[in-house]
Amino acid sequence: MSIDLLKRLGFFVVLCVVQILVLNHIHLFDVAIPLLYIYFAITFHRNYPKWAILLWCFALGLAIDVFSNTPGLAAGSLTLIGTIQPYLLEVFVPRDSIEEMNVSIKSMGLWKFMVFSAILIAIFCLVFYALEAFTFYNWINWLLYAGSSTVLTLILIIAIESVRTR
Amino acid sequence: MHNLLDFLQKYHHWFLFVALEIISGVMLFRYNSYQGSVWLSSANRVAGQYYEMESGITSFFSLTRANEELTLRNFYLERQVDQLRRLYTDLTKDTTVEERNQLQFLSQYRLIPAKVVSNSINKPDNLMTINKGKADGVEIDMGVACGNGIVGIVYLVSDHYSVVIPALNANSSRISCAIRNRGYFGYLHWTGGDPTIAYVEDIPRHAHFKKGDWVVTSGYSSIFPSGVLVGKIEKVFNSNDGLSYKLQVRLSTDFSCLRDVVVVSDKSISERVKLLEAARDSIRLKGN
Repeated sequence: MSIDLLKRLGFFVVLCVVQILVLNHIHLFDVAIPLLYIYFAITFHRNYPKWAILLWCFALGLAIDVFSNTPGLAAGSLTLIGTIQPYLLEVFVPRDSIEEMNVSIKSMGLWKFMVFSAILIAIFCLVFYALEAFTFYNWINWLLYAGSSTVLTLILIIAIESVRTR
Repeated sequence: MHNLLDFLQKYHHWFLFVALEIISGVMLFRYNSYQGSVWLSSANRVAGQYYEMESGITSFFSLTRANEELTLRNFYLERQVDQLRRLYTDLTKDTTVEERNQLQFLSQYRLIPAKVVSNSINKPDNLMTINKGKADGVEIDMGVACGNGIVGIVYLVSDHYSVVIPALNANSSRISCAIRNRGYFGYLHWTGGDPTIAYVEDIPRHAHFKKGDWVVTSGYSSIFPSGVLVGKIEKVFNSNDGLSYKLQVRLSTDFSCLRDVVVVSDKSISERVKLLEAARDSIRLKGN
C-alpha cells in the first residue's frame, strides 16, 4: 500500500515537473498544447478508492495551476476526469480480469486502452478550453484547440505507455 | 438517521466531487481576472433584470400615490401657467409669445423618460440605477430629474442601464442651484441622515431672501436647465467660516418612492464644455 503511495507520489512530481518546465511551453502550430498530466488520472487501477482518485486529481490540477498561474482551471477539469474515470473504466475492463487490474496496454490491449484514454482526454480538453475561454463565442477555435491538444496528448501517452510495457 | 448515514457513506465521493469543483470554481472566478470579469458582468446583468422585474411589480402598487402627487403638481403648475399668462397678456397685450417661448425652450433639450430599477436612501453614498443606457442616448454627466424636482447626475453608462449619483450622495454630489427670482447661487450638498433635507452652501452674506423661498437649479452647471425645482428653504445658518450663509432645504423630490424620472440631454452641453476648456487653456497659456 505504502509502495503504491510512494509510486504515485513520484509519478505526481515527475508529471508536474515535466508539464511545467517543458510541455507548457510547447504550442504546436499555435494550437496544440500537450496536457500530459491527465495520464495520472487515466492510470488509477480498478477499484481504487473513488475519494482518493478525486483528491489526487484535485491536488495535481492545483499544483499545475499554481505554477502556470491559472488557479482552479486544471484543478476543476481534472477533478471531473477523476470522477468519470472509474465508471468509464468498468466499460472497458476485459471480462476475465482481476479485481485490481492495472490500466495499461498490457492488461487491456492497445485498442481498448487507446479508446479509453482518447475519451478521457477529449472530455478533459473540451472542459479545460471551455473554462479557459469561458464563452462559446469562438466555438470553432475552441474545438480546434481541444481537438488538436487531444490528438497530441494521446500520441504522447500511447508512446510513453508502449515504451513502459516493453 | 441510519439511512442517512448509509446514504452519505455510499455516495460520499459525489459530495467530495461537488466540494472540490466548488473550490475550483471559486478559485477560477476569484484569482483569474478574465473569468472573474465575465462572471461578474453576467451576474450583474441577471441582477439588473431581477431588479427591473421587482421594481415593475412594486411600482404597480405605488401607482396610486404617484398619481395623486402628479395630479396635485399638475394642478399647481397649470394654475401657475394660467396666472403668468394672464399677467403677461395684461402687460404686453400679446397672446402668442408664451407658446413660442415654450417651444423654443424645449427644443434645446431632449428628455429621455426612464424608470428607477434600484435605489437606496439610507447610506451616506447612495447610488441609483435607471433602465436607460447608451443605446437610448444617455451619456455620462447628463442631469436626471423627475416631476417634482431634481434627482441627480448620470455617473456610469452601460448599453441598457445607467448608474446615477443622486442628490442624496454625501461624498460626491454637488449641484449648482440658485434662489428663485433672486438669483443668488450656491451648491447643493447632502450630509447624510434625513433623505428629505439637504443644504445649500456658499450663499453670499448680502443676499436677501425669505424662509419658504424656492431653491431651483441655476443652469450654470451645464447639466440641468435653469429653473428645475430643488426644494424649499427651511432654516438659515451661518457657514463654518462665517463668510456665507448655509441654507437648510426641504427637498421637493421624495427619493423614497421614486419611480419615473427623465434624463435631460442638453444638446449645447458639449459646445459649452468645449468653450470653457478653450478659455481655460488660453488663460493657462497667458499665465506662462
